[in-house]
Amino acid sequence: MTFTTVAAPSSYVGTPRRGPVTRLLEDERWLALLLLLPTVVLLGLFIAYPFVKGIMLSVTDTRVGVPGHFVGLKNFEDVWNDSIFRVAVWNTCLYTVVTTVFKLALGLWLAVLLNRNFRGKTLTRAFILLPFIIPTVLSTLAWKWMFDPTFSVINWVLFHVGIIDSRINWLGEPGLAMISVIIVNVWRGVPFYAITLLAGLQTISPELHEAAAIDGARAWQRFRHVTWPLLLPVTLVVVLFSVIQTFADFQLVYVLTGGGPANATQLFATYAYQIGIGTGLLSQGATISLAVFPVLLLVVIVQLLYIRKVETH
Amino acid sequence: MIEGALWRRWVFFYIPLSAFIIALLFPFYWMVITSIRPDRELYRPWNAPNYNPFWTWYPTLSHVRDLLTQTLFTTWLLNTMIIALSATAISLFCGLLAGYALSRLKFPFAGSLGTIIFITYLVPQTLLFIPLADIIRNFHLGDTRWSLILTYPTFLIPFCTWLMMGYFKSIPKELEECARIDGATRWKAMLYIIFPIAVPGILSAGIFAFTLSWNEFIYALVFLSSPGEKTVPVGVTSELIRGDVFYWGELMAGALLGSIPVAFVYSFFVEHYVASVTGSVKG
Amino acid sequence: MVRIDRRRLLKLSGAGAAAAASGGLAGILASGRAPAYAQQANVHWLRWSDFVPASDQLLLNQIVPECQKALGITLRIEMVNANDIQARVTSAVQSGTGPDIILALNNWPQLYIDSLADVSDVADKLGADQGGYYPISKAVATAGGKWIGVPWCIGGGLVAYRKSWFQEIGYDKFPDTWDKLQAAGKILKAKDRPIGQALSHSFGDPPGFWYPWLWSWGGKEVEADGKTVALDSKETVESVERALPFWKEACDSGGLAWDDSSNNRAFLSGSISATNNGASIYLEAKRKPDVYQTEKGAPMYQDILHAPLPKGPGGQYNLPGPFTNMLMSYSKNQAAAKQFVTWVNSKPIFEQWFTSQQGYTIGATKDWANDPIWQKDPVLLPFRNLPDEGRLMGYAGPPGRASAEAQTKYIIVDMYAKAVQGTAPEDAVKWAQGELTKIYS
Repeated sequence: MTFTTVAAPSSYVGTPRRGPVTRLLEDERWLALLLLLPTVVLLGLFIAYPFVKGIMLSVTDTRVGVPGHFVGLKNFEDVWNDSIFRVAVWNTCLYTVVTTVFKLALGLWLAVLLNRNFRGKTLTRAFILLPFIIPTVLSTLAWKWMFDPTFSVINWVLFHVGIIDSRINWLGEPGLAMISVIIVNVWRGVPFYAITLLAGLQTISPELHEAAAIDGARAWQRFRHVTWPLLLPVTLVVVLFSVIQTFADFQLVYVLTGGGPANATQLFATYAYQIGIGTGLLSQGATISLAVFPVLLLVVIVQLLYIRKVETH
Repeated sequence: MIEGALWRRWVFFYIPLSAFIIALLFPFYWMVITSIRPDRELYRPWNAPNYNPFWTWYPTLSHVRDLLTQTLFTTWLLNTMIIALSATAISLFCGLLAGYALSRLKFPFAGSLGTIIFITYLVPQTLLFIPLADIIRNFHLGDTRWSLILTYPTFLIPFCTWLMMGYFKSIPKELEECARIDGATRWKAMLYIIFPIAVPGILSAGIFAFTLSWNEFIYALVFLSSPGEKTVPVGVTSELIRGDVFYWGELMAGALLGSIPVAFVYSFFVEHYVASVTGSVKG
Repeated sequence: MVRIDRRRLLKLSGAGAAAAASGGLAGILASGRAPAYAQQANVHWLRWSDFVPASDQLLLNQIVPECQKALGITLRIEMVNANDIQARVTSAVQSGTGPDIILALNNWPQLYIDSLADVSDVADKLGADQGGYYPISKAVATAGGKWIGVPWCIGGGLVAYRKSWFQEIGYDKFPDTWDKLQAAGKILKAKDRPIGQALSHSFGDPPGFWYPWLWSWGGKEVEADGKTVALDSKETVESVERALPFWKEACDSGGLAWDDSSNNRAFLSGSISATNNGASIYLEAKRKPDVYQTEKGAPMYQDILHAPLPKGPGGQYNLPGPFTNMLMSYSKNQAAAKQFVTWVNSKPIFEQWFTSQQGYTIGATKDWANDPIWQKDPVLLPFRNLPDEGRLMGYAGPPGRASAEAQTKYIIVDMYAKAVQGTAPEDAVKWAQGELTKIYS
């Protein structure tokens, strides 16, 4: 607008005199530069730089204490032919897809339940978020104890209710271990989905529901045609965040199973850690870590396109 | 109130809601019970007779005592607090400035910078930790708190920035322009008019950043090694497993006490936390 | 932001010469400046959390003050879960700072040859004083003719078993062949008392059982030239095929997820009848006779005996676990560290620690075989002979870097784990052969 010219220092009575620095800061571009500088420096130094270094590591054969030589794409070839790596890829995809589906479904259900008015609603809402607030490692330790092969409380309950008569080896059998890991992830993620979707639900004006009800729509139809489409943008963003986090998950599996038994729960991140830091094969570890990036990029691009489509619709 | 017949209320509302609440909160109850249960009760197999896992008649504080006196738990708590507060402060500072710049100033590459900050979210910690360890060593930050205080903002700043952008976008431009007509510089207008209005946003971003810092694990695991420097998540998982024995009583006490500070701070800012979660998604 | 920069700058320049130089005594001397802390010597020793807690207590409560008095060195001992030691070594080497001495297990020193200081002077003297080192200790602690670590002790495993339970089903002595053990195990498992064996990624129990299993059927990783991978053979395939019924009929299936402490807990809570382990189960039961009891109410330790792993057609073997103290080359306290290692391995000091172990470990030098500790408890006497009858990973080649990498990646253990979970034995062996070839090439 025209205010900037009106407020020019020398021509307007009453304006204080300004030094050169202040005048510089008046310029939007310089101010922006200054404001963005700390962020750019930090992110550049601790994200961009290591990312480039990671790529450089992955094309050498560095081991701990031993600087490496350039080996081209050999690490990528080795990693691709590594059967454990392929298991890790499969596990990570399975883990992400299954947990996201469950988190979305259960989160939505919980959000719908919380959308009603009832006594103790605020308190409930606050408590519900606890699994998400508490440091993952600590709550996963509690689950590890709950799943312990010899002392599991879950087994105790199931035994006394009569459902099982010999123990369930939650963390010891490969299939069950994956289920256990999924259970803990869903447990931790449902509150986040629920609270976010709840906020989304609350923006949908009740009049829309009433109008639909007057037109004879049943609850399920109201949901499908009124709630869901309006909730879709929020849902997609939540899913996007969650997918990125779950794909790169480390803590949960590290504490609960360490990637076992026999690599049944090995994910990208845990395998990269095991090879890179555990065995000291830094280049191979860096390669495994980097392998996540293209997949993530693909997932994100697809979702962003979908979001844009939905928003312009 | 909930409308509908009584049976409908129970089947469709009360029972599911209770089931959710029990499922979500039971592990915490389990943490508490295990922490105060004496050792001889702890190590009874799941199918032993006369065993009630949900209650103990002989609560003991020995695990908590052992945790506090025989391990460096209090040091870890202090470390984690300091790191979380410092990293949050840095991230808020950067996020505030960056959010303002990206939402209210016009300059070349504004859009792409915003996108780039978004892209950094695609580079999770588990991708960077190996090369970053090298960089930390080159800066001689290995095994110090600074290694975390300076690296945590990498995943906190994008979030703080978006949140602040969302807040700033909702503040009308007229406010600033009035201030400037009255003689304030752009800088002063930013500091004294806009930022104070964004305080709720700052609180929201702050509390979210705080909880995320407590939750971080892999950087702390890889960059820190001395027991006296560790954070609570790393300390509890690495030092309470002694030899053949998992000291479950102490482990659960550690898990519980390690969660309390975060839960406590969170309880004061629940509204802000929820606002931050939903704000980030909308923004 | 400016303040932080300045502070970091100060920190960097203060840490200055000592840190910026390549590290170690040589670096400091080369830079021509004395270390900032020549007066007070500090040594940081990283160890595993001992499976005999009394020894760790002894180290902290007696050795630390004695060290201060005798050498003027402030000793700081850090104990971590053994499975985390390798990650700590990598982090320490990567960040250039960390413990001065790290206790390594198995043949891990071979993985870090370039980051370890030459300790030939210390090791040669100790060996000469104490009757010479056992060949297995020397094999893991030397590379290229120099000593890269000072051996500390040797841990070994035998099968700890419940005497009364085996007697009940007709075995007065522990079964000495795999066939007999499988038969006994089958009966016991039907009574909810299976054999317990870890088949997972843990440093001690899994390799301690499955490498000897492989060897006892005649299989081996490489030929004697140390380069040709020879895993894929008739004997190895047979060992995998025979592992399947053994596992299914006689073993606790939870073993797939066990770490080194799980079998201890299972045995002490009466869930398994036999397990290959160090003496820690027996020692723990003996320490708390009123906590660990048999179903008849008697102290459990009176019902525990030890026996060697059964034999197969290829022989009878065990895998000892050597412990070696590595002196890290990034350490700025190398002189003090060497002084400490010499002192702590000396007869009067080591004797205290060794006695507290009560036979859980064997000394790395041969003189300790004559120590009076071996006369105290006949149940523990069988552990003394393990180093002589033991073989190390990488057989029939030397236990060098490649075999250390193979062990750390759990290739042999995973070969059996895959088979037990459904992979055909030939495929499991082929997979392991492929992985080994990649490492040895």
